[in-house]
Amino acid sequence: MIVASPKPIEEVINTVKDCKKLLILGCNECVTVCEAGGKKEVGILASALRMYFAKQGQQILIEERTLERQCDHEYLEEIRDIADTYDAILSLACGVGVQFTAEKYLSTVVLPGVNTCFLGATEERGLWTERCQACGSCVLASTGGICPVSRCAKRVLNGPCGGSTKGKCEISKEVDCAWQLIVDRLTALGKMDEYEQIAPLKDWSTDRAGGPRKVAKEDVQS
Amino acid sequence: MQLRDKSEAGQFIVLAEMEPPKGVDINKFTANAIRVKEQVDAFVVPEMNSAVMRMSSLGASLILQHKGLPTVMQVNCRDRNRLALQADLLAAGASGVENIMAVTGEDPSFGDHHEASAVYDIDLIRLLSTIQGMAKGKDMAGVDLIGAPSFFCGSTVNANVRGKALQLEIEEMERKIEAGARFFVTPPVFDMADLDEFLQKAPRDKIKILPTVLLLKSVGMARYIDRHSDHVSVGQGLIKRIMTASDKARECAQIAADTIAAAKQAGMDGVAIATLGWEHMLPQVLNLKPTESLDTRQDDPNTSWGKHAGGK
Repeated sequence: MIVASPKPIEEVINTVKDCKKLLILGCNECVTVCEAGGKKEVGILASALRMYFAKQGQQILIEERTLERQCDHEYLEEIRDIADTYDAILSLACGVGVQFTAEKYLSTVVLPGVNTCFLGATEERGLWTERCQACGSCVLASTGGICPVSRCAKRVLNGPCGGSTKGKCEISKEVDCAWQLIVDRLTALGKMDEYEQIAPLKDWSTDRAGGPRKVAKEDVQS
Repeated sequence: MQLRDKSEAGQFIVLAEMEPPKGVDINKFTANAIRVKEQVDAFVVPEMNSAVMRMSSLGASLILQHKGLPTVMQVNCRDRNRLALQADLLAAGASGVENIMAVTGEDPSFGDHHEASAVYDIDLIRLLSTIQGMAKGKDMAGVDLIGAPSFFCGSTVNANVRGKALQLEIEEMERKIEAGARFFVTPPVFDMADLDEFLQKAPRDKIKILPTVLLLKSVGMARYIDRHSDHVSVGQGLIKRIMTASDKARECAQIAADTIAAAKQAGMDGVAIATLGWEHMLPQVLNLKPTESLDTRQDDPNTSWGKHAGGK
């Protein structure tokens, strides 16, 4: 899933302070799971802003709404009749949701309420860690199911760099060396012969090197 | 004699690191190199060591080359994509640089531009094989070069690790050799015996191993390295030596001179001297006679220096 974290409240206040009427728009998907932009967080942020502006003696009408998704036309249509009645929509969706909402409602200011961080997994309640950088050319088949692109600080594709110490990365003792994990896993699987193979030259054109990307599945297009 | 020839002839190699200036004043940079040109086979010009922004290795190498000083130009994977790396290698080759040291490069978080984005378009093995490929007249896209550069190429090896990590390091080293690395610079070594386990496993017949002789600058630095560096041990003996010396800077130079002598005695292929900005001390490091009492210290169990002088 896409993992996001709430923006600092000071930053949010600064972006919405000139509004008279604000809609805080949550999303029921990834940002709900990572507890950054679901219905619950919409409520908490709305209360915090109401309290702040009340204390400042400033009148702002803050309303709450949470859509199933903000990255699909059909769900965004649900606010068509009200979108232009607000000075701004503060979207707590990921960067995709914020942009898609803005593209749909051109006359309303759409602001981000979270920082979109990475593609990750829930390790435990309250802890999400990165697993994928969406490079567009998956190498997991040859790396024991552990991704060196997202989990190695240097995105090294052929074994550890010199900074690997006791299974940890040189950037922090808290960070596992991805290549140590890969070697351990390949050893456990009896597949160390795969480690010996030099990885083919990485084609970064499927990553950001090729500019904005798209995936087209023509057989389902109408 | 060129570095490649000296290496092939099996002679003891002396490399000295010359940190390029952070600025355009090259006076000290060139003067320090010229002062020791007779004793140094080639000057290693780092490419922004520790991710601290400085003059590029290419630029600084050319400055030295133009003064008639041979260089080992460093290239790293951190700062350039495959286009820029190859372009710089062509520029270096055409301008007289004959030696390259390819490294991965430290993460920008270690340096003075913490927010910089690292490139890592290709990794070190690929960089080495690219250099090898260019020597055969082809770029990474397989397009013919008009004139192929010929580099004597080296890299680094973390020779101080132990156990399972050492096995991985050796495997990685084999890959680097296959990709064209012919000499390897190790992290700082203060006691040549620290390399014993590594040397037993390293394919020494194929390559040259050059331990880094790091010039210590103070007791604080020695202690800091000893305590906080995972794989580098300075040893209490040397720390005590600096602590009790009346002229600490001179003692540090003496320790470096002794370490070079110990490397020779231990049958190393050469050394790479790193002074981390104290390049003005290189004449002392290279001209001081090794401490005569090496052999007596060998038996002193209270100093790592004893082991140091063992000369295995």
